Amino acid sequence: MGNEVRTVFSKICEFVLTALLVSFFTFAAFSIIPGDTARVMLGPDASEAQVQQLRTELGLDRPLAERYGTWLRDAFRGDLGNSLSFGTPVSELISSRLAVTLGMSFIALIIVILVSFPMAAFCSRNPGNITDKTLSTAGHILFAIPPFALSMMLILIFSKVFHIFTAGRYTAPGDNFGAYVVSLLLPSLCIALPKIAMTFKFLRASMIEYSHSDFVRTAKSHGLTDLRIMLRHIIPNSAVSSITVISLVLSDILGGSLIVEQVFNLPGLGRLLLAAISRRDFPLLSGIVLYLAIITVILYFLADIFAAVIDPRIRDRRAA
Amino acid sequence: MRSSANSKRYLYIGSALLAIVAVFFIIGLIWTPYGINSTDSASKFIAPCAEHLFGTDNLGRDVFSRCLAAARYTLLVSFAGVAVALVIGTITGLLAGYYGGIIDKVIMVLSNSIMCFPGILLALVAVAIFGPSLYNVIWALGLVFAPTFARVYRSSTIELLGRDYILSAKVMKVNPVRIMFVHILPNLMPQILPAVIIGLANMTLFESGMSYLGLGVQPPAASYGKMLADAQSYMVTAPWLIFFPTLMLVCYILGLYFVSEWVRTSVNGGSK
Amino acid sequence: MHNSRRKVIAGALMLALSFSAVSCSQDNGEAQDGAVYGGEAVVGITQEPMIFDPHTVEAAGDKEILFNVYEGLYKYDSTGTLNPCLATDVVISDDASEYTFTIREGVTFHDGSELDAGDVVYSLNRAAELIPELSFIEDVTDNGDNTVTVTLATPNSEMLSYFTAAIIPEDSGDTIGDTRIGTGPFVFTSYEAGIGIVLTRNENYWNPELPYLDKVTFKVCADMDSGFLELQSGAIDIFPYLTTDKSSQLDPAQFNVLELGSNMVQGLFLNNAVAPFDDVRVRQAMNYAIDREEIVNLIMDGAGLPLTTAMSPVMGEAYDTSLDGTYDQDIEQAQALLAEAGYADGFDMTITVPSNYLVHVNTAVALADQLSAVGINATIEQVDWATWLDRVYAGRDYESTVICLTSDYAPYDVINRYISTADNNFINYSNPNVDEIITNLPLTIDDGERISMYRELLGYMTEDAASVYIQDPYSICAVNNRLTGYELYPMYVQDMSTVRLATAE
Repeated sequence: MGNEVRTVFSKICEFVLTALLVSFFTFAAFSIIPGDTARVMLGPDASEAQVQQLRTELGLDRPLAERYGTWLRDAFRGDLGNSLSFGTPVSELISSRLAVTLGMSFIALIIVILVSFPMAAFCSRNPGNITDKTLSTAGHILFAIPPFALSMMLILIFSKVFHIFTAGRYTAPGDNFGAYVVSLLLPSLCIALPKIAMTFKFLRASMIEYSHSDFVRTAKSHGLTDLRIMLRHIIPNSAVSSITVISLVLSDILGGSLIVEQVFNLPGLGRLLLAAISRRDFPLLSGIVLYLAIITVILYFLADIFAAVIDPRIRDRRAA
Repeated sequence: MRSSANSKRYLYIGSALLAIVAVFFIIGLIWTPYGINSTDSASKFIAPCAEHLFGTDNLGRDVFSRCLAAARYTLLVSFAGVAVALVIGTITGLLAGYYGGIIDKVIMVLSNSIMCFPGILLALVAVAIFGPSLYNVIWALGLVFAPTFARVYRSSTIELLGRDYILSAKVMKVNPVRIMFVHILPNLMPQILPAVIIGLANMTLFESGMSYLGLGVQPPAASYGKMLADAQSYMVTAPWLIFFPTLMLVCYILGLYFVSEWVRTSVNGGSK
Repeated sequence: MHNSRRKVIAGALMLALSFSAVSCSQDNGEAQDGAVYGGEAVVGITQEPMIFDPHTVEAAGDKEILFNVYEGLYKYDSTGTLNPCLATDVVISDDASEYTFTIREGVTFHDGSELDAGDVVYSLNRAAELIPELSFIEDVTDNGDNTVTVTLATPNSEMLSYFTAAIIPEDSGDTIGDTRIGTGPFVFTSYEAGIGIVLTRNENYWNPELPYLDKVTFKVCADMDSGFLELQSGAIDIFPYLTTDKSSQLDPAQFNVLELGSNMVQGLFLNNAVAPFDDVRVRQAMNYAIDREEIVNLIMDGAGLPLTTAMSPVMGEAYDTSLDGTYDQDIEQAQALLAEAGYADGFDMTITVPSNYLVHVNTAVALADQLSAVGINATIEQVDWATWLDRVYAGRDYESTVICLTSDYAPYDVINRYISTADNNFINYSNPNVDEIITNLPLTIDDGERISMYRELLGYMTEDAASVYIQDPYSICAVNNRLTGYELYPMYVQDMSTVRLATAE
């Protein structure tokens, strides 16, 4: 019991440290890269005097270190401040964009799981037969096509040939939830397809391994049906060992959504991040980076906990 | 028997695919049918034909010539980037996995922070300090990808620590550096190779994504990833601008992937 | 006081030279009597709107939208002519130091309050503080008879085009960026970051015939490619700033494509303070080395006007047509000049380009290819926009760059950046003769005299080869055929007031 409390406590410490470090990196990066929010907002036609005035209005005349200090203090109180270039609260901006990025990641993950598990289960029963080979080869090729190119091809096919998709037509979940999911389906598919190949390959290998293991043989000798063995023994066991893969896939999915958002013109976190960087909007960027840190840390935290629960070697080491 | 035949086939197909890329790379260094960067308004957007095998692009440049030349940048970016990531990731991952405790914590916190940090911002920083050049961006790319390798190394190292030969080496007071690099590292190959292949693939893609902010390969030079990014505007009118760089990338990534598959199965085959 | 009432048309110095709208069918079918009121339109924009205060806004992407919301005493139309708007008339004193405006009656703001001289005095005073071009205003007086007199610190005959500055309700300056209350044909209804801006019809617009549409949405697109897809799918009706390779893909049965000279100046700008560009012979040699026609064909599919000097011929009489062809490609001449300057074998140079402008990046690629013919080895260095503004434009820490200069539709606005002390003289150009002419121009009243001064100035700048001027790119806009009445302006304006449905929906 004491151990678990300590683990959770040390995890929280780790998280706070990570968040602090990331935000410090952001600050350090901003003190190095050239560029100025006021100038970007006003464009080249503005006079020096106008730029200076806007700088003063935005508080940019204060040194960056001081602004970072203020931001850090407010962030600890849960206030991420206002975006310089949008003029609206950072937390509002982020939450409006999270619907796209998280929605897309979630749908992509579901697609990955829904496709790769049955595919792997099916192929692992008769490894080497024609279906297995076809699916494996298809998986390999999908894995090798860049998501960038894949997105373009799918847009071409679905909007030009079938006329059933409009790039950039996005509906907020609050307006119409069904339309929201539909508008994210194709981009999610583009993120999911290459990951399916990766997950499928891993799952197939581990399922083949498990189907040769002693307990499956025992189960077979007890007269359990193949389906029951698959559902009761093989899938749960491979699911456990594939958690690491899935957590890796998830962080890939988050990263992949950045590129896909660009190609599909979706107002997601990735585009907000690019906007924050190209406008040198320090509070906004710090806020986004903090959010990404929270999401990533939670993902790894969950993966670690699962792994620790399942894998005795890691569990023992933690206890020691 | 079957599996060895299978893995041989992986080797053959993989090598054949990589050979295509290698041939492009070598020819591109020596000769191209047209000037790589010679623009001509009279020959814009010519579809693939006998004179221009892969067609021409928006500035009238021969895509086949550019594909020959692009091989060097794609190979350079992906290999150099992965090499940097691998060196950093290997050392930190081994240390974290082997020692555990506070070293592990520090390294994991650092690697998590880097993973949360936007790679494009890191590349901007590298460019701001050293000026926009391909080599500076490679450092940034390497750093971005290092934590992935560190994580793989760390968890695999922890797995190996329980093995008898590691335990006995520890008991025999073998130098920890020797244990890490002689006893552990070679045994991690099966886990690392796929990670390297995925890293190579991701690296080429990340580099093409960075061209949105003008980072990475500078024009008029182009890698396959950058050719793809540039082709986005013309995907409807000139699909060959997407098709050929994609084909080259698929050859490259699939080739690497098959070869790694062969390595993995032959190593695993030996141990089982 | 010898006031002479003059009918002022700012277009006096301008010629409708470039208004050759290609395949433009603005008046197809629907006659005025058949005009349809009501309906909606969506305009695609690729830049996130940022500032809505009409006196601090600078970004062209913001200005072109706010044109529909705020109005000034005078207002441009699509031919570049200045027309009376919230003023009905102006009287300029003979020494060009006093402008007296008669305020239009019966105009109401979007909040229902009536426009009066007090609003005008307040707005002009505020604008004088915030807009550099209006800083010459010394005093604004309400004459009590519904006229307002503006007194300038120094006589200035070039001022009228700046009286397009927005008139806002008295004392609303602190909140105008949020309330966005003007007198324009459309009311600013909402703005959502990353999504866009919604404007709705101003029911009480002073011109009862306008506008036609009930609602106009300016929708933010990630980039031109995604916006173009939306245009084709019908999610967007009007998409300005297209490139020719895009517009040529459009089905003429579904879209009107309009083209117009944009009064922009694209060039390879050379830092005149840095070697070897401090040598006039090197700058001239580079001008001779390039083939502008080829670049226009390559980058714009011919949709651009090759330039010889710092001003576009669309500026009309202020431009000197005898300069045309001065720097037609002449490789031998270029090599001779380079040899004379001591660079017979050429030299290495860097072109710093903002990576977000594909046109400029492509132009740099074409330039590097052409310059290599005379031994000049140009390396391209892409930087992001914020870095470009900071390092190149404000910091002047660069060798050469490709960019497009924009200006108001007034010749003085085009050339005043070349005075050696100007903030925005980022190429470090310096010529005492040019300085003198630019200083004297606003003090000169006579139009004919001003025209000859502009021509003399352009002569100096051409001889100096201040930079390598390339082209005035056409502005290209596609309009879905369900709409009609859209007019392209030779400046950053998206005028929605004349847009209407082609047939009732």
